[in-house]
Amino acid sequence: MPHTSPLSDQVQASQATISEILQKIESVVLGKPKECRLALACLLAQGHLLIEDLPGMGKTTLAHVLATTLGLSYQRTQFTNDLLPADVVGFSIFNNQANTFELHKGPIFNQVVLADEINRASPKTQSALLEAMAEHQVSIDGVTHELPTPFFVIATQNPLFHAGTYPLPESQLDRFMMRLSLGFPDIKAEKNILLNDAQRTNQTNKGNTFDPVVDQQTLITMQAAVTQISVSNDVIDYILALSHMSRQNYIADDAKLGTRHNISEDIVCKPLSPRASKSLLQAAKAMAFINNRDYVLPDDVQAVFYVVCQHRLEVQPSQNISLSQLEASSVANQILNSVDVLNPLSYQ
Amino acid sequence: MSFFTRKLNGKLNKNLNSNPMNNTATLLPVNTFVLARKNAWLLWLCQCLNIATIALELGTWMLAIITLSLTWQAFLLHRSFERPNSKKLAERRTKHAKNKQNGPVSPFVLATFAIAGCLTIVITAPQHGLLISMVHLLCFSYVLKAFELKARSDFYQLILLGIFVLASALIFKQDLAFSAMVVSLLLLNFVVLLQYFSSNNVFFANLKIIGILMTQSVLLAVVLFIVFPRLSPFWQIPIAKSAETGLSDTVKPGDIAKLTRSSKLAFRVSFEQQSPPVYSQLYWRAMVLEDYDGRQWTKRFKRDNNKPSQLYIEANKAGVKPITYQVLAEPSFQKYLFALAPANLSEAFNGSIIPQSDYTFLSSSVISQTKAYHLTSYLGAPIGVTLDDDSKALNLAYPKNSNPRLEQLALQLSHNYSEPLQRAQAVLNLINEENYAYTLEPPLLKNNSLDQFFFDTQSGFCVHYASAFTFLMRASGIPARMVTGYLGGEYNEKSATDNNKAQGHLSIYQYDAHAWSEIWIQGKGWLRIDPTSAVDPERVNSGWSDDLLQQQSALINELFSRSLFKNSDFLNALRLQFDALDYQWTKWVVGFSTKQQYDLLTAWFGNVKSWKVALIIVITLIISMTAVLFIFNWLNRADKKQHRQNLADKIYAKALLTLAGLGIDKPPAMTVNDFAKQIREKQPMLAISFTRLSNSYSNLCYQNVSEEDKALLTITMQQQYQQFVKNIKSHK
Repeated sequence: MPHTSPLSDQVQASQATISEILQKIESVVLGKPKECRLALACLLAQGHLLIEDLPGMGKTTLAHVLATTLGLSYQRTQFTNDLLPADVVGFSIFNNQANTFELHKGPIFNQVVLADEINRASPKTQSALLEAMAEHQVSIDGVTHELPTPFFVIATQNPLFHAGTYPLPESQLDRFMMRLSLGFPDIKAEKNILLNDAQRTNQTNKGNTFDPVVDQQTLITMQAAVTQISVSNDVIDYILALSHMSRQNYIADDAKLGTRHNISEDIVCKPLSPRASKSLLQAAKAMAFINNRDYVLPDDVQAVFYVVCQHRLEVQPSQNISLSQLEASSVANQILNSVDVLNPLSYQ
Repeated sequence: MSFFTRKLNGKLNKNLNSNPMNNTATLLPVNTFVLARKNAWLLWLCQCLNIATIALELGTWMLAIITLSLTWQAFLLHRSFERPNSKKLAERRTKHAKNKQNGPVSPFVLATFAIAGCLTIVITAPQHGLLISMVHLLCFSYVLKAFELKARSDFYQLILLGIFVLASALIFKQDLAFSAMVVSLLLLNFVVLLQYFSSNNVFFANLKIIGILMTQSVLLAVVLFIVFPRLSPFWQIPIAKSAETGLSDTVKPGDIAKLTRSSKLAFRVSFEQQSPPVYSQLYWRAMVLEDYDGRQWTKRFKRDNNKPSQLYIEANKAGVKPITYQVLAEPSFQKYLFALAPANLSEAFNGSIIPQSDYTFLSSSVISQTKAYHLTSYLGAPIGVTLDDDSKALNLAYPKNSNPRLEQLALQLSHNYSEPLQRAQAVLNLINEENYAYTLEPPLLKNNSLDQFFFDTQSGFCVHYASAFTFLMRASGIPARMVTGYLGGEYNEKSATDNNKAQGHLSIYQYDAHAWSEIWIQGKGWLRIDPTSAVDPERVNSGWSDDLLQQQSALINELFSRSLFKNSDFLNALRLQFDALDYQWTKWVVGFSTKQQYDLLTAWFGNVKSWKVALIIVITLIISMTAVLFIFNWLNRADKKQHRQNLADKIYAKALLTLAGLGIDKPPAMTVNDFAKQIREKQPMLAISFTRLSNSYSNLCYQNVSEEDKALLTITMQQQYQQFVKNIKSHK
């Protein structure tokens, strides 16, 4: 199909950069190409990322490498149960000499905020992140401060059944575009990790950090390109069908969906919000962009559906089993399997 | 159209998914046809209504058989849909199922029924004539077909038959109210059809869809109505051997009084230049009855050699103002027409209407549909100034001793009054002065004796007076004859266009039927004498008196009697408005004849030869059809896009069906590309062709391409599908 447009040219041009970024990330986070792509897609779609896994699985490493390869200012904050909102956001302190209040900016004023073990902090502190994540601004002592652009929150958390964890409020969960889980690396990858680790220790001692692959401006351009990826009516319908499927227990007479598809009744899930649908679309666009296309395929939607929606759907904290096992049994996949790709909204 | 494609599409998708949650009707084997309870009853109701439109034309026996089978049908429906709420019912049902496995209707009973019906048709055929027999057959098969709704095609046939029944009802009656009713029933028939297919079972939603579709088709219908050539063998309404209405060619005392109970329309007249003449001048002559056998007057059908020459009328009309008017005669299934004498016929009707020597007009064929003709009358001009001997003898003849007392009176009159006019006036005076009564309920006369009427009962209707008067005239030696026709008419100016106030119309109903007499006087010709004027002057001058109206409403027991209308201004205005509408309908739609079509087209395109007109019609047809096509195309742009998409969907669905035949099913949740990948792994020999097809489909569905590229892609997809099929065949 001979087809060129400014957008498709731009997509093509960005491919080299994208593969370079991916290469860089994958060289650090070994054996997890799929998760690396998803994480990159999340940032390209301007979404916040939540990484949930056991300690020591490479969560922080992923967050770190993402921030540095994209050339963004980066600060890590360890969340503990006695962390206060002011510790995250910042506070005003009285300067005796100048006789004024001075603002001490918190770690949130970085482009990438790595909130490590976010679920160990009290809900109050967690909520302090809310405004920042949604509005890209914070209020300190009644003064509103703009946050830098681009602005990402990459949070990591331990599974909920771990000691000393608070569940994230649903409102905040909904603000994370994706929740990733890295899972154990396979033996080969782990061996490489062990081998590489020896090298890396040596290099770090020499003061070698990751070099940025792109500058801020390139990243912003790519993000703008992602929003312009074209979406056909069929894909929109598909997304609608998926989100409506999750609402069956909540909208009693959602007659429009017809009686064709039903997820089995014993599955309990929370409904997907319109923000979730928006995130899904945005993530699918970013996925299409990464896959060198200027239009979205249902495949893109399917690729991101689990990570975008599972944390919004699930009621019970998930057992920490491997990603592939999880995907096979999750609510998200049940929903995915109950919608016909070719004829998503059968009522039409 | 979009509805059907969507339907088809839905079906394909259903096949693909074979989801048990689907509509149950389509999952049944093809040969079993099941209507939902509501739809089955709707169909039954529709049948009843369709038959009702034509019921009046059916014979008694046929009507009985049809009613019986419709009732039976209702019973079967009721039984098949009853809920097994008690054990007894369930038992009975299983028993029933064991006994009869061929379906709800025993074929034996059905066959007996069919034979009985056919026999009825055959036996009553000579009595009813061909058309009615065919209508019988149609209705009978329509009712009978409902018993064997086994497949969908049966359902189609049934609906089609119903539409035929409706159409044939229009043969017999075409007025506005009836046509509107038939159209609304047509709507119902279509809704029944749609109910079966429509995904939503809501009656009013479907009614709306059909309503919109019918409204859209009106434009086309109007264009075709105006320009489509009315080829005579196809465009003639078959002549029914229907009940004759109106006057008959024999009249005996008491006849017309019965006719006055009918408020059926007889004909309408519109005056073209001037307002209509005064009421007492509106003697619409229909028939002249000259033969009298002592009991009744009969029209003489003789060979008419001496037609009234147009020139003759020309010569005598000096000083008389001509009145031109158009008559729209309702179907009477007789031949006589109506005119104010003397009248000239517009030349356009030479051949189809024959002027008679007695200044009446006969149609060359039975009037089975509304007939329009133009006349020019010269009111007051003398008619038949010369009278040949034969006619004179005929108009003086009466059976001797049939009415001795009247003969006696006539003798006396001829003795006392030598002048014929004085003699006539004397009789009128006599009727006026004596205690004669004008009534719709005349007492029965023994042997139709005029003596008895004139001297004993002394109460009667127009025919009584006209008969007695004519008899007296003949007996006293003055040539006289009986004339029947209509008197007066109701003037309705609601049909008038604003710029011309005079263009209202007169409606003449059957109750305006009248009889009067004409006497011939040397040098003056035939003079109209109406003896009714002597007994009830109001009848002649302005119409029915209140007494007569009350008599009439007492006699006919109608819901809307004429006296009711007369007493309520609002109802009367409403009735007149409807009458005006019906007049326009009759004039422009029912009466739109070949000639009118020709006139209209000549007015548009000038006076041209007929083959040119035909050419113009054909070209107009082509142009208008193309225009309609373009308009619809333009209106359906979105649909067309949809159609292309649907075509691609269909092709892909066909490919999937083919693969399903090979045992490879696509899970609904699997995307097109993933499935293509799976095929590449599992069926490498199909890989290339199927991947190409899948890629095209995927691009078409999801990529942002221009409409032209989409059209190209669709074509490419078709080719790729053919290659895919070839590929499969070669690997089998």
